[in-house]
Amino acid sequence: MMPSRPRRGLIGLLALLPGLHCGLAITAEPGWLYYGGDQGGRHYSQASQIDRSNVQDLEVAWVSRSGDMASHGEEMEKTSTQSTPILLPPAAGESLVYCTPFNRVIALDPASGEQRWSFDPKIDRRGDRPFRCRGVSYAEEARTPAGKDCRHRLYMSTHDRKLWAIDASSGKPCADFGDRGQVALYGSGELAPGEVSNSSAPVVADGVVVTGSTVIDFVRSTTPRGTVMAFDSFSGRPLWQFDPLQGHANSGSANVWAPMSVDEKNGLVYLPTSAASPDYYGVDRPGDDLYANSVVALDLHSGELRWYFQHVRHDLWDYDTPAQPILFEWRKNGETVPALAQLTKQGFVFVFNRLTGEPLWEITEQPVPPSQIPGEHSSPTQPKPIAPPQLLNPFLMPADAWGLTPFDRNDCANQLADLQNLGLFTPNSEKLTLMFPGSLGGPNWGGGALLGDSGILLVNVNNVAFTGRLIPTPQDLDPASRKQDHPAAGHRMQVTMQGTPYNIEIGSLQSFLGIPCNPPPWGKLVAVDLVQGTIAWETALGSVHEMGPVSAPFHIEWGTPNLGGGIATAGDLFFIGATMDRQIRAFDVSNGQTLWQYTLPVDATATPMTYMYRGKQYVVINAGGHHMFQRKMGDYLYAFALPD
Amino acid sequence: MRSIHRLLLPLLFAPLCSAATLQVKDDQGRPLAQVMVTQSPLAQPEADLSDDGYAPDGVTNTSAEVVTRFTNAAGEVSFDPPARPVSYRARAQGYVDVNFPAIEDELVMQRMTPEQEIASYPSNVWLSQLDFGGDQELKKTFQLNCAFCHQQASAFMRNERTEEQWLSVIERMNTYGARLPTEDHKKVASLLREEYRRLREHPETVPAPRPWEGHLSEVEITEWPIGDGFSQMHDFLVHPNGYVYIGDNLFDRIYQLDPASGEYTVYKVPHDEDMGLGGIMGNRFKVFPKMYNYMGVHSFAYSKKDGNIFITPSMQQALLEFDIKTRKFITHHMPEGYYPHTIRVDDKDRVWFTLALSSQVAMFDRSKKTFTVYDLPARGVKEWLILKSLPIMFSISPESRPQPDPDREGTGLPMPYGIDITPDGMVWVARLYANDLACIDPDSGEITMIDFPYEGPRRLRADADGNLWIVAFQDSLLVKYAPSTGEFTSYKLPVINEVPYALNVDRERGVVWVNGNQSDTILSFDIASEEWRVYPMPRQRFFTRDIEISEEDGAVFTTNSHFPTWQSEGGVPTLLRITPLEE
Repeated sequence: MMPSRPRRGLIGLLALLPGLHCGLAITAEPGWLYYGGDQGGRHYSQASQIDRSNVQDLEVAWVSRSGDMASHGEEMEKTSTQSTPILLPPAAGESLVYCTPFNRVIALDPASGEQRWSFDPKIDRRGDRPFRCRGVSYAEEARTPAGKDCRHRLYMSTHDRKLWAIDASSGKPCADFGDRGQVALYGSGELAPGEVSNSSAPVVADGVVVTGSTVIDFVRSTTPRGTVMAFDSFSGRPLWQFDPLQGHANSGSANVWAPMSVDEKNGLVYLPTSAASPDYYGVDRPGDDLYANSVVALDLHSGELRWYFQHVRHDLWDYDTPAQPILFEWRKNGETVPALAQLTKQGFVFVFNRLTGEPLWEITEQPVPPSQIPGEHSSPTQPKPIAPPQLLNPFLMPADAWGLTPFDRNDCANQLADLQNLGLFTPNSEKLTLMFPGSLGGPNWGGGALLGDSGILLVNVNNVAFTGRLIPTPQDLDPASRKQDHPAAGHRMQVTMQGTPYNIEIGSLQSFLGIPCNPPPWGKLVAVDLVQGTIAWETALGSVHEMGPVSAPFHIEWGTPNLGGGIATAGDLFFIGATMDRQIRAFDVSNGQTLWQYTLPVDATATPMTYMYRGKQYVVINAGGHHMFQRKMGDYLYAFALPD
Repeated sequence: MRSIHRLLLPLLFAPLCSAATLQVKDDQGRPLAQVMVTQSPLAQPEADLSDDGYAPDGVTNTSAEVVTRFTNAAGEVSFDPPARPVSYRARAQGYVDVNFPAIEDELVMQRMTPEQEIASYPSNVWLSQLDFGGDQELKKTFQLNCAFCHQQASAFMRNERTEEQWLSVIERMNTYGARLPTEDHKKVASLLREEYRRLREHPETVPAPRPWEGHLSEVEITEWPIGDGFSQMHDFLVHPNGYVYIGDNLFDRIYQLDPASGEYTVYKVPHDEDMGLGGIMGNRFKVFPKMYNYMGVHSFAYSKKDGNIFITPSMQQALLEFDIKTRKFITHHMPEGYYPHTIRVDDKDRVWFTLALSSQVAMFDRSKKTFTVYDLPARGVKEWLILKSLPIMFSISPESRPQPDPDREGTGLPMPYGIDITPDGMVWVARLYANDLACIDPDSGEITMIDFPYEGPRRLRADADGNLWIVAFQDSLLVKYAPSTGEFTSYKLPVINEVPYALNVDRERGVVWVNGNQSDTILSFDIASEEWRVYPMPRQRFFTRDIEISEEDGAVFTTNSHFPTWQSEGGVPTLLRITPLEE
């Protein structure tokens, strides 16, 4: 039964005004009301006080610490600090709100960083899954009388699979939502702790809260379903749910762990779905595995499928859809089309009419090599947009090997000569195979930032090669290798794929010196012209001076692997942390020149945000390090502003 | 022009009264003629593919045939009742493909949008619009070196790439064996980026391909899928014993296929135990997941004396003989020469073949079991030195062997390629990079060189009158050379910007058949009337390198040897036969 449609609040009404449906427009001063800047994840702010002429004067305005380092100690090694704060509107208290990896919600004074309140859901912290919380979502609930608690609400999906609604002014749970402010999500209490969790913020629009999940999806063939759930934002009553695999047997997941987007005006929610389980072996899940590896448009109120596009058929590479779908207005030849841009780990940008799913750039079928694994019917073709170009070059031949010296270069060339390597979508086999890009991407969950109405998309891209191999079981796993976490940190990890005849071994392709075998940059920033279908410019992103056994006293801008995203502003700037060098940088959007950078105490593997508050523009970033990359941990929130 | 159904002996089919007839219409209810309707089995028969995905030596499997027919002027096409579960696909120029499970009375096809229609055009019409900044010589160099393995302007090749990405593609292709001169790499990368982008922005400038024509409803196309996505079914032979022998160039296997039943038996070519992959040439495909080209079976010819088949193993200094009775291979080792290429057997049972790398022609005298090697002249001192240094170069291991730095003229590599024997017994050879012809008098050993006034003489064949028919690869021409007068005559191909790889002559019926590998077609040229007919292939990216004609009934065979095969529609190589339907 359809829920009764709640009366729209002030925000909803404003959203109906032409051109004002992005959250940026609801306050007199540009704010940051949503995780991605607006409901469509454009990562863009109209704030222009900080611009190319003065950005070099930026200084620290305040620093706030969540206290997690002191209270959780060694447990921090199981975290990744990835939160992007939001700025609440004046009616909701005008606090800057973010969440810590343990799902504590903290509200700060936007000018001073002083804490106003905090809320601790005291999550179940058992299990191996890393703790992450990328953000919380805000909505004004019109069914709650004005002036009452929980008229303004924050929603958060927690690691232990609870959806919380708390009062935006006080941080107290909303008693009228579910069970005293919380509803249990799929998997809560039924599965091993941590097996299903949450990382991205739910989306809330027009009385509906939609939440995805994070699933450990490669350790066995039939993992939990990646069911997306929707609830009434007032009561927490379940409204609908969507199984991306539509009951496909012998598999699981295809969950939505990346941020979703909402077109509230047109009543659509967009889901970036991940791979079906297990990631690297598909014999038991024949066919395309719809709607895994897709962007799926659902009716916000009914959950009915409106359209979908699957960017990887029968995934064998862990090419989850990693990034928030970006909603924007496509303007070309005098025509304006409501559009959606979807970044993929493969480094493609697909652009669609977001109402119909019709591609705005032709999508071609790229023939790809077949799998050598018995019974594995890999897809003969994979989609590839005619434009823009792939954001990284997936071909790496022995002659392309890179090294600091002839010795490590030769080592890399020899390794490459022994790899199976037919470019993108070469399936893994029992022989070591190049995976370029690997599961890190390309782009990842940081997504992209759209520069206003220009059609220029700024994307941070990983550019490191992995190798992989399927290892027939039974074979004892090296216990040490299981502890190691991620190829981007130079590890070779070996993981069981329970229920299949194989384990999977994955590692980065690097020389005996521990240096990537592909030529730098190993991380880059790319400006894509979505309308022209071209790359406007690209530049290295990050310095490797801290990645060796000993830090160099100067920056070496060869790019680093990066996690987290960037934001663009009307000041013609692009701010980003994400790199493995503790920097936050500001780039000139016209040419990629670095105009400002600041050394944080730890890496900022998060997406910054910016806002105007009482006449002053702030740029804020969460800096918590990243244990997955073997980097130092922290619990900082840094705010920058121009001097008074 | 004599129509093919009158020229060729009709095949026996089940009576039409038992056939199911489909009428295809457009969305206005008008009958659609020349709709290609393909009947495919839903499942392949059980097969023993236990040898790394292939049939082991001597094992017989069955290939389930795929049948294609075309609608007539009334939009009708008939199929015999299938013996096994099948599905159908209807394809027509400008219409969206329709897949359907069974023949019912009527099928309606929807028109493509203008954008879809242009995007569906085959490679050749897109390629025709690349003008390389007006540098036609550069375009020819590009086509010579980049269009002999695969199509160049298929949809996925037209994707926007940065100049660096194009450069990377070019450099990778050169490691596989392309010879685009280093000095041209950046220019070509830049032009491909620029000109494909221009076409993307102005697709209306791309001309429509040649319309499919009425003669198509008179033929049936049969395909037999063999091998897998890593195979390359290069050349083949229609043998008088009724079998077709197909060589998998990359996996050292001969497929003996019976077109009557679809049964095929695989014979694995033996190699010396100490031989490495890629033979003496070395393995250029190390990054491929699997490869088994110790010998590199290339070209086929049979002895009219005993039916034995002779095969050139490109990766060896040898000649292979396949005993048609014992089904065993005999290896005849040669003392010299590099890259045995195209092969023919003359009426005196002498086996002639080109040695492409060393610019020689070899003759194997079966009675004496001896080789005679003819040196073709070098084009200059530098080329002579290069050719003479080959034995020294080949004494170095493939991994350490210096690689040549190719130039546009192919200096050091005149490359004798195609070979055939005219009815008077003279041996004719085309040199691809040298743009000339060699004529060898087998009795005197005298060699005469003749300039070929076009570019890219790849393969040639002689007709019944002693004329030579030669493809001009880069010039997109069919060329006739009359040895009696020394006169060359060129004929424009019926499809634009084709780069014809090979041809064959149906001497009995006076028809030249030409490979059309960029346009997904096979082309026939009636020598008497000088009229062309075009036969579209049922799969996109259908790259063909050889044509054989059944002496018995005039059926025309070719193989899909796009490299890599997985880029071809369906991802599996096929043997293809065009036969006439009975009236």
